[in-house]
Amino acid sequence: MMVTVAHVQLSSCCGCLISLSDTYEKLIDILGSIDLVYCQTLADAREIPNADVILVEGAVCLDDHHTMEIVKEVREKGKILVALGACSAVGGITRFCKGGQMPKPVQSSFSALTEVVKCDLAIPGCPPSPELIVNVITAVLNGNMEYLRPFAKYAESKRGACGCDLIINVINKSLCMGCGVCAASCPTRAIKMIEGRPLVSSELCIKCGVCSFQCPRIELPKGVCQLDGE
Amino acid sequence: MDPFGKYNSIISARATDKRILKKSQDGGIVSATFIYGLENNILDGVIVADRGEKFKPVPKVATTPEEVIEAAGTKYTVCPNISLLKSAVREYGCDKIGVVGTPCQIISTKKAIKYPVGLRHVTDKIALTIGIFCMENFPYNGMKTVVEELCGARLEDVVKTDIGKGKFWVYTKWGETKSVKLKETHPYEQIACHVCTDYTAELADISTGSVGSPDGWSSVFLRTKKGEEIIKKMIDGGYLETKPIDEGKFGLGILKKLALTKKEKNIKEIEHRKELGLPVPIIE
Amino acid sequence: MAKTINITPTTRHEGHGKLILEVEDNDVVNKAYYINTTPVRGFETMLVGRPAEFAPIAVMRICGICQTTHGIASCAAIEDAIGCEIPKDGRLLRELVGLGNRMHSHPLHHLLTADDFIKPEEKELRVDVIKLIQRMRKVGQLIVDVVGGEGIHPPNIVIGGMRTNISERAKAKLYYALKRYEKDAYLMYEAYTELIERYLEEIGIPDLGAHKYPYIASHTTFGDKEDIKWDSVVEIPPQRYYKDKKIAESTSVMIPLYGGVPVEGGPRARMAKFGNFRIGGSAMDINIARAKENLGAVYRAMEILDELDINGKTKVTPEYKDGSGIGVHEAPRATNVHFAEVGKDGKIKSYKIIAASTWNFPIVEKAIEGYPHQHAEVIMRAYDI
Ligand SMILES: Cc1cc2nc3c(=O)[nH]c(=O)nc-3n(C[C@H](O)[C@H](O)[C@H](O)COP(=O)(O)OP(=O)(O)OC[C@H]3O[C@@H](n4cnc5c(N)ncnc54)[C@H](O)[C@@H]3O)c2cc1C
Ligand code: SF4
Ligand code: SF4
Ligand code: SF4
Repeated sequence: MMVTVAHVQLSSCCGCLISLSDTYEKLIDILGSIDLVYCQTLADAREIPNADVILVEGAVCLDDHHTMEIVKEVREKGKILVALGACSAVGGITRFCKGGQMPKPVQSSFSALTEVVKCDLAIPGCPPSPELIVNVITAVLNGNMEYLRPFAKYAESKRGACGCDLIINVINKSLCMGCGVCAASCPTRAIKMIEGRPLVSSELCIKCGVCSFQCPRIELPKGVCQLDGE
Repeated sequence: MDPFGKYNSIISARATDKRILKKSQDGGIVSATFIYGLENNILDGVIVADRGEKFKPVPKVATTPEEVIEAAGTKYTVCPNISLLKSAVREYGCDKIGVVGTPCQIISTKKAIKYPVGLRHVTDKIALTIGIFCMENFPYNGMKTVVEELCGARLEDVVKTDIGKGKFWVYTKWGETKSVKLKETHPYEQIACHVCTDYTAELADISTGSVGSPDGWSSVFLRTKKGEEIIKKMIDGGYLETKPIDEGKFGLGILKKLALTKKEKNIKEIEHRKELGLPVPIIE
Repeated sequence: MAKTINITPTTRHEGHGKLILEVEDNDVVNKAYYINTTPVRGFETMLVGRPAEFAPIAVMRICGICQTTHGIASCAAIEDAIGCEIPKDGRLLRELVGLGNRMHSHPLHHLLTADDFIKPEEKELRVDVIKLIQRMRKVGQLIVDVVGGEGIHPPNIVIGGMRTNISERAKAKLYYALKRYEKDAYLMYEAYTELIERYLEEIGIPDLGAHKYPYIASHTTFGDKEDIKWDSVVEIPPQRYYKDKKIAESTSVMIPLYGGVPVEGGPRARMAKFGNFRIGGSAMDINIARAKENLGAVYRAMEILDELDINGKTKVTPEYKDGSGIGVHEAPRATNVHFAEVGKDGKIKSYKIIAASTWNFPIVEKAIEGYPHQHAEVIMRAYDI
C-alpha cells in the first residue's frame, strides 16, 4: 500500500508547494511514489481525508474560525503532521502581520502551526529547497527517523526563529568558526560575513530559520559525519 | 581513536607545474587539482580564498587557472569560503563547483549537501571538495598580532605565512624570514576551534596538508571515488609527481600524532563545556 | 425554480476560494459570487514604519508563484516615490527576471487547467503535457534563480536596481535554455489550442465565459506606469460593491475598478491591447493567449540578453526623501500595482497593493454569469486566480 499524503495550505504564499514542483521532470516520479489524496492547489478532492502524512504550509490565523477548524482536522486526520516551511514551522514572514488591513481588519493574529497544535516534524525555510522537501518525503517513506530527527526536534521546540539565533546560539557561545554557510543559505541575503562572522540585517531578516538550521555549530546530525556511499 | 577518518589511500605528492609551486603553500595540490579540473571540464568554477589587502583573505569564485594561482597559499585566518556556494551557482552560472576549505568548512558543506534547506538547486552542483589540514585558525586581528607584534613584520609586506617545525613563519617581500614559537601564538587562536575534532578534513573528497611529507611536498588523503579519479588522472597525465608516504615517525607517525592530539585536546574541551552547561554542536 | 449552488473550496488554483452560484432551472447561472476566503495577512499594514528595503522582500511573499512581480512593482513604486533612476542594465535584468517568472507561471497554470481539457483516459497525453510543462518551468525558474538569486522570492530585486549582474557563463547558459524554451513554447501553444478547441466544440458553447467588460494592460513584457490613467483607478470595499451583506463580509479582497467598472487584466488583455488578439470571446481564449504569450516572453528575453552588458552597473544607492510613487508590473495574471509613500528616513509611511489577480475577481463573476453552472470552475480557472 502506498503512503497517503495530503497537502493543506493555510495562510501562506504557496511557495513551499511550488518549491516541491521545482523538482521539474522528477515531479512525476515523486507523485508516483506516494498517494496524494488531497492537494487543493493541484487536484480536485474537496475534503481532507485521513492520511499517513499531512503537509501543512502556512501560518495559522487565530482570528479565522475556518482556519482553526482545519487545524483541528489536520491533527486528527494526519498520522504524521508536518509543518512545511517557515510560516508553518517557525512563523517566518507572518511574524510581521498585525492586522488592520481592509477588507478584514480584524484578522491580526498569526502563529506558527507548531505553536497551535503538536506537530511531528517542522521544516524551516522560505521556502525549503525542492531537494530538502524530497529528502524529507523519502525519509518518511523509508522510516528514516535518524534523518528526520532535527526536524522532529524543531517541531518539539515550538520556537520562533530569527537571524539573531546565530548571534545568541553561535557567536555568543564561542562556537562560530566563520564558515559562511549561514550567509549562503539566507533567502533574503540578510547576512554578510564581516571579519569572519555573520552580520545579520534586521531590515531584511524574515525569520525563516534557515541560517540557524544550516549552521553546523548549532547542530551536527550524526549522519552528516559519515563519508557514506561515496 | 581513529585519527584520520575513512580514506582509501594516502600519498606524498607535489605539482609539476612550476608556476603553481612558486605561489602554492606546500605541494600545490589544491591549486593544481583545481586548475586540472577547470581545464578538463571536470570543474567550471572553484571557491578559493583570495588575497585581499593586508593579507586579509576574501572568498572568490575562480573560473580561470590564473585566478586559482592568484589565490594560492595559506591565509591563517578565517575566510568564509562557503558563503559563496550559492553565488557560484546563481550569478556565476557554474554547474561543477570545486570547494576548498578547512575541516569545519568541509563539514558545513557536507551538512549543506545532506540538509540543503536554504540551498535550492545548489548542492547537486558541488563536484569536488578539497579539505586542508587544520589544527586551529586565527581571527584576523589574532593573525595580525602574531605577524606584527610577535614576529615584527608589517602585514603589507608579507608574502607568505606558514606553520611548521613548531613555529609560525612569516616571509616578507624584502626577503626576510621571521618566526615565533607556536606556543606563543596560542593566546590568539580562534576559541571556536577548540570544539573541533577534525584535523585532516575527514569528510572531503581529497584532504591535504604539509605534515607527514618533506618540505615542498604534501600529504594527500584520497577518500572518495571522485577524489581518487581526479588525482589518478593527474598523476597519469604528469601533473603531479608522487612518492609513497613515509610510514615512519616523521611521516604518517607525526600526522597521526597531531590528529590525535587535536581530537583528545578538543574532546576534553567539549566535555568541559558540557559540564558548564554550554552548548556543543555534535548531538548524539 | 432558482437554486443556489456552492462550490467550496474551489480547486486547482492558488489560495482559498468558493463559488456561490444562483442558478436558473435551465442550469444557467444568473448571479455568481467568487469569494476569496484566504485570511488577510495584511502586507500593507505590515510595512508601515518598516525600512523601505524590507518592502520588496516582504511583498514577494504574498504569492509564491508570482513573487517576482511583487518584488518588481514594490521597488518601482519606492523608486518612483524618491525619484530614483535605475541603471540600464539593472532595468534589463529586472525585465528579464520578470519574464522568467512569467515563463514558469504560465506553464504552471497549464498544469492546473490540464485536467479540464485532457480526458481521464488520455493518460499518455497527460504525462506528455506535464513533462512539457515542467521542462518549460525549469527554464523560467532557471532565469529567476540566476538573475533574481532565488527561483522563489528572488532577493536580487532591490531598490535602486538589481543586486548583481551575471557572468558570461551564466548568460550563455540562459541563452541555450531559452532556445529550448522557444521550441517547447510552440509545442505547448499548438497542443493547448487544439485541446481547448476540442473542449469548446464538445460542450457546444463556443463563447463560454464571454463578457462585455473592458481590458486593462500597460505593457507587453514589463510594466508602464504612464499607460494607466490613475484618476480612473479606484479600489472599493466589498461592502460597497456587493449588495448581499453576507457576501460582502466574507470575501478577503477589495474590488478594483477602472473608470468605475470591473476590468479584465492578463494575457488576453495585453495581447488585445497591444496586438490583434480577439476581444470579447470565450474565456477559454485567455488560456490560448497565455500559451501564446510564452512566445513573446522568450523572444524578448533573448533580445534582453543581446542588449545586456554584463560589465554594466546594475544598481544605484537610493537616496531617500519624502514622496509617494506608483510601481506597475505586468504580472502573469494581470497588471500588478503598488503604491508607496516613503519618508526621508527611508521608512514606509503608507503602502497599498492592487495585486494582479484582484482585478479579475469581479470579472470572473461576470464571465460565469449566463453560462451553465457546470462550467463555472473552468471559467474561473481560465483567469488563473
Ligand atoms: C588555518 C589553516 C591551518 C592549517 N593548519 C595546517 C596544519 O596544522 N598542518 C598542515 O599540514 N596543514 C595545515 N594547513 C594547510 C596548509 O597550510 C596548506 O593550505 C595545504 O597544505 C595546501 O597547500 P597546497 O600547496 O596544496 O595548496 P595551494 O595550492 O597553496 O592552495 C591552498 C588553497 O587553500 C585556500 N586557502 C588558503 N587559506 C584559506 C583559509 N583560511 N580558508 C579557506 N581556504 C584557504 C587558498 O585559496 C588555496 O586555494 C592549514 C591551513 C589553514 C588555512
Ligand atoms: S515559508 Fe515562505 S514560501 Fe513557504 S509559504 Fe511561507 S512565505 Fe511562502
Ligand atoms: S554557519 Fe554557524 S559557524 Fe558558520 S559562519 Fe554561520 S554562524 Fe558561524
Ligand atoms: S537571517 Fe536570513 S536565513 Fe536567517 S532567519 Fe533571517 S531571513 Fe532566515
